[in-house]
Amino acid sequence: MGRVAKAQRVGDEIEPLAKHVTQEAINLFEGSAGRSAPSQFTDEATARETLGTEGTVASGRMSLSFALEFLRRHFGGEVFNHSGTVDLRFLRPVRPGDTITFSGIVADVSREAGGRRVSVDIKMMNQRGDTAGVGTGSAVVPNAFFPPEE
Amino acid sequence: MPEDDDRILLDWDALEVGETFKKYEYVLTQEMIDTYREGVMDPEAGFPTISHKVDIKQFNAKYRDDGSVNARCAFYCYNPPVAGKKLTVRAWVADKYVRRGKNYTVTEAVSVDEDGRLIDRVITHELKQPTEVGKKWGG
Repeated sequence: MGRVAKAQRVGDEIEPLAKHVTQEAINLFEGSAGRSAPSQFTDEATARETLGTEGTVASGRMSLSFALEFLRRHFGGEVFNHSGTVDLRFLRPVRPGDTITFSGIVADVSREAGGRRVSVDIKMMNQRGDTAGVGTGSAVVPNAFFPPEE
Repeated sequence: MPEDDDRILLDWDALEVGETFKKYEYVLTQEMIDTYREGVMDPEAGFPTISHKVDIKQFNAKYRDDGSVNARCAFYCYNPPVAGKKLTVRAWVADKYVRRGKNYTVTEAVSVDEDGRLIDRVITHELKQPTEVGKKWGG
């Protein structure tokens, strides 16, 4: 079958994912949509004026992208890219130079048509140990991906 | 604000939940996908549509304000988009609320490609007093 059967039990820890955020990466993220005008993400003066911060910050959607990768690695692309969800609350700004680490625990497994929805509690920490974001994510894992029930 | 900016100054109290914005269409190019993947340091990233911020794009095309900060964002994956396909986005105001005396808007958008494949859904909660970031977290 080529599929890795995984039990997905409540309490299972998800393999953490760390990302080092640079201004270059932020610029690429913003530029990938064709934006070139200065913004709070790419220009310090605009960030000062708009946010009152000394420097730029990363878009929350960049962290959201990292969270999608975090869960895609756990569930596999063929599952997550077709049923995955992430809902993140941003508690602290992410700035260039920060390393943010995503961790998570399986919080719930419930039956749905065609599979089981596996829900994960997500935490996003920076290199100082501050919680930069929290949220939840999920995917519907087809029954065939689970090992035979005992 | 540029003098030729003909957008409407946002009146948060008057903003109607359910307001739907003009349809937005764009072609997702391979270059956009590659640049996004490089930016997020994930060569397999499936949803480069995230960086297009399509739910607030049409909001910001209609309204001008003092800016905003992303406070919360939800994303639903249905099918990864394919390079070269035209995407059509429908976006609307899903909610608005006040929390701790601050104003928030919630926008939602759904993207569909030219073949009718549902791509993704994004819901964003934006704090409409962006200087709160500097006040709370300083430099």
